[in-house]
Amino acid sequence: MEKPAPLGYGLGLRPVYYEEILSSRPPIDWFEIISENYMLAGGKPLAMLDRIRADYPIVMHGVSMSLASTDPLNFDYLRQLKALAERVEPAWISDHVAWTGVHGVTLHDLLPIPYTRESLAHIVERIQRVQDFLKRRLVVENASTYVSFVDSEMSEHEFVREMAERADCLLLLDVNNVFVSSFNHGFDPVAFIDGVPAERVVQFHMAGHTDHETHRVDTHDQPVCDEVWALYEHARRRCGDVSAMIERDDNYPPLSELLAELQHMRDIDARIANEQALSAA
Amino acid sequence: MKLADFQSLFQERVLAGSGEADKPLLKKLRLSPRGATPETLLDVYQSGYRIRLADFVFQDHPGLRAILGDETFEALVDDYIDQRPSHDPNARFFTTGLPDFMRESPRWRDDTAAVSMALLERAMVDAFDSRDETPLAVQTLAEFAPDDWPQLAFDFDPSLTLLELAAGTIASYDAAISEEAPGKADAPATGDKIEHAAVWRVDHESAFRQLEPDEYVALCEARAGHAFGDICQMTAFQQSGEITPERLAQCLSSWFEDGMIIGVRVHSDDHSSNTPSSA
Repeated sequence: MEKPAPLGYGLGLRPVYYEEILSSRPPIDWFEIISENYMLAGGKPLAMLDRIRADYPIVMHGVSMSLASTDPLNFDYLRQLKALAERVEPAWISDHVAWTGVHGVTLHDLLPIPYTRESLAHIVERIQRVQDFLKRRLVVENASTYVSFVDSEMSEHEFVREMAERADCLLLLDVNNVFVSSFNHGFDPVAFIDGVPAERVVQFHMAGHTDHETHRVDTHDQPVCDEVWALYEHARRRCGDVSAMIERDDNYPPLSELLAELQHMRDIDARIANEQALSAA
Repeated sequence: MKLADFQSLFQERVLAGSGEADKPLLKKLRLSPRGATPETLLDVYQSGYRIRLADFVFQDHPGLRAILGDETFEALVDDYIDQRPSHDPNARFFTTGLPDFMRESPRWRDDTAAVSMALLERAMVDAFDSRDETPLAVQTLAEFAPDDWPQLAFDFDPSLTLLELAAGTIASYDAAISEEAPGKADAPATGDKIEHAAVWRVDHESAFRQLEPDEYVALCEARAGHAFGDICQMTAFQQSGEITPERLAQCLSSWFEDGMIIGVRVHSDDHSSNTPSSA
């Protein structure tokens, strides 16, 4: 399996941190952008991105490809995405196992699907068409979900594995999403991570969520919690050296707090590497 | 149920919000192992949809919120979300239709102050990410021979929007976004009086300023491609009051200083040139 080289430890690029990033050049290995936020004619977002990408590798992460939608693929959107990719030259482009709307409407959310053979065939065909259009392998992320369906014919990780292998795409393993969905639907998050094809995983997402006691919601407005850190360690042991990053989309803390989370990630990985070196010796 | 039918049903229930009609979809949901009701879990999507879209409007329209007050503003946002679902994959463009919606809506169209504020704020948002161009300095004029000056025509930054607003809109907007007391602004007095504004982008930030009536007309005519020398003679300009070549030169100088002008060319009836006839 040919995969892009690991980039190290990254951060979701958000406007609130532009100035500090440009002035202090923090020890972050790479940035992930939300593609749609830069699919614009011009202005400050693109100007900031141009300056930051001069010094850091960039990955493009989209939220509107609507891979699982039964609407036709939106080629206007894909053309804009491709044009942005030509400007940014990202290490890869990702989106989600989700749909965002039908009948021309967009709900601006990552909506769930029943894990059926029909859904699987549908999303596989669309990923393949997107990959043909973009002329690159797509990286596809597991989404957080709050409902699951009686019509599902397989587990989420079986769906993701089959999808990745049939579409020959790469995977973004969102560790927080695994945890949130496992809590909401009562599956074993470790079994999920063990069930996806590790050789296709090129990126980890780490983020915080909101605990509503009976369910958890993927809000990206909290620090990463202990359970998700534990799951990260398992994912790292299973998937090895893949690019990992922190997503924060609300309740923004000082950049130093996000740098501390990246350092925590580095510390976990260093401990795993030491253990593996000792056991190999 | 086929995937397409499922998605139609799911979307219908998200757009409509929670209610009795959710039942066919609720029957499709597995029970939560944590005791959450199906209604609660479906509502994560239903309420999340409205919260997300409302947040886009709140971000783009602080002035409108300030003059309407929270309760009326939220009613407007609810109406807009109900009647104009988003069709653009880029959430940035969800709010673009708000002023047009207000002008077409029987409930909102008579509130000229609110419509006016919505137009100003849309222009501010649109200016922020419009196409990049490089503004010219006033010294560019020195590249043209004095004999060409009456024939000079100008190209303006694509971010520039010229607005005719209800009088008081600009002061209300200024108050609403002020750092001292953000979000506080009185609604402009309703009436037939108007004011004019230019909105554009300079140094990566949206900018606005009020225009005197004569400058507004001059800028409209200049942006329409009319030559400097012709503008003084135009009927529309003369109707707005006294104008002298000196005043027009003063306006032109401020357009350069503001970073609005991106091109200068010699205009003639049968051809235009982008280059000076002499340097």
